Amino acid sequence: MAHEKVNGCVILKDLYYNVENNTWVRVIDDSTVAIGMTDVAQNLAGPLLHAKTKKVGTTRKQGKPIATVESGKYVGPVKSPVAGEITKINDALSSDAGLINKSPYNNGWIVEMKADDLSSDLATMVSGDAAVSAYKEKIERDDIQACEQIEGADTYD
Amino acid sequence: MALDLSQNKYSDVSMEEKDRLFAEAKADERWEHVLYGCYECGICVAACPSARFYDFSPRVIAQAVAREDTDLIYTLMADSIWDCSQCFSCDRCPRKNSPGQIITILREVSVKNGLKSAKEALQGYGRIIYKIMLTGTQVSPDMLQPDAFPDWGTHVYEIAENLDDWRKALPPETLHTTETSWVIDDKTIIELYLIWHMTGVMDLISGVDEGLYDIIVDVMEERLEEAGYDDVTFD
Repeated sequence: MAHEKVNGCVILKDLYYNVENNTWVRVIDDSTVAIGMTDVAQNLAGPLLHAKTKKVGTTRKQGKPIATVESGKYVGPVKSPVAGEITKINDALSSDAGLINKSPYNNGWIVEMKADDLSSDLATMVSGDAAVSAYKEKIERDDIQACEQIEGADTYD
Repeated sequence: MALDLSQNKYSDVSMEEKDRLFAEAKADERWEHVLYGCYECGICVAACPSARFYDFSPRVIAQAVAREDTDLIYTLMADSIWDCSQCFSCDRCPRKNSPGQIITILREVSVKNGLKSAKEALQGYGRIIYKIMLTGTQVSPDMLQPDAFPDWGTHVYEIAENLDDWRKALPPETLHTTETSWVIDDKTIIELYLIWHMTGVMDLISGVDEGLYDIIVDVMEERLEEAGYDDVTFD
């Protein structure tokens, strides 16, 4: 899978990113998307202890929380990059939130949503080289420390 | 880690801004009661528990503010004041200085002005507020993680790894918890949420941290609805 590393943080080029909220979107079909936290986000949060998703059927506006993640000292929302309804949640996270740390873009996906107007939402995000540039800028601006891949993490060599 | 007090360390911050921050601290009405002068006797450092563990000195801070060295004061605000444990052992100063109070004021100025060091130092409190607001208990056993408490030494790895077992070894069953300090009764939780609703305390949180407000309110509204309080919303 095409990817680039920015300060050690993996950015997959085929995903769409809401850089400000550190979330990614994988388009499944015309209106369905999978959503998760970026490698940058999971590194900032640290080893996660809990990830509590909203229930299937919950409707969310863009920017409202679809999940809450907790590490030893951190708690924060995963803000929805799209407006729509949650159609599926990653049940595996309830017993192993660390999946988000080990595999932020694959096994650590958080929810699937049916977007009300996907094309409009995607227009607010960045993908490919534009995403890499946006993250370079963000990492420098916010002085984000280098991402460290924890043991058992997906390899992106 | 050794404290770097080299001149103009934070050259990206203008002297005008450093002067402004110090002026804000000096304008605090407590200021004239916490700083009188310094004999350089070192009693404050000798009494200071943080000075034993960090490259931290209440005397350096008292002297920097007495000299009004705003460049150095900014460096101390960025790198040093958060090492103080706020025990006020330094209040035994023979000149009646209170480095602990000076630090309190400097911390407040750092928070009000959103300094990066303040955000980093307070990051951990987000989860504590989340815990208090949602469970009524401010700390949870699962906060004992190697990344959060490195000062516990290697022992903390074993504690974190086997936390469930450690907690189950405690005789009272109400302590067999890791996410909260003890088992919280549903009725208590609902009463707590109704108190937050009636007192308007959530409005305060929304002004400080919107993300935290969103996730707390989300949980509260869901639990209140399940308990039959459909009409209680925080909007």
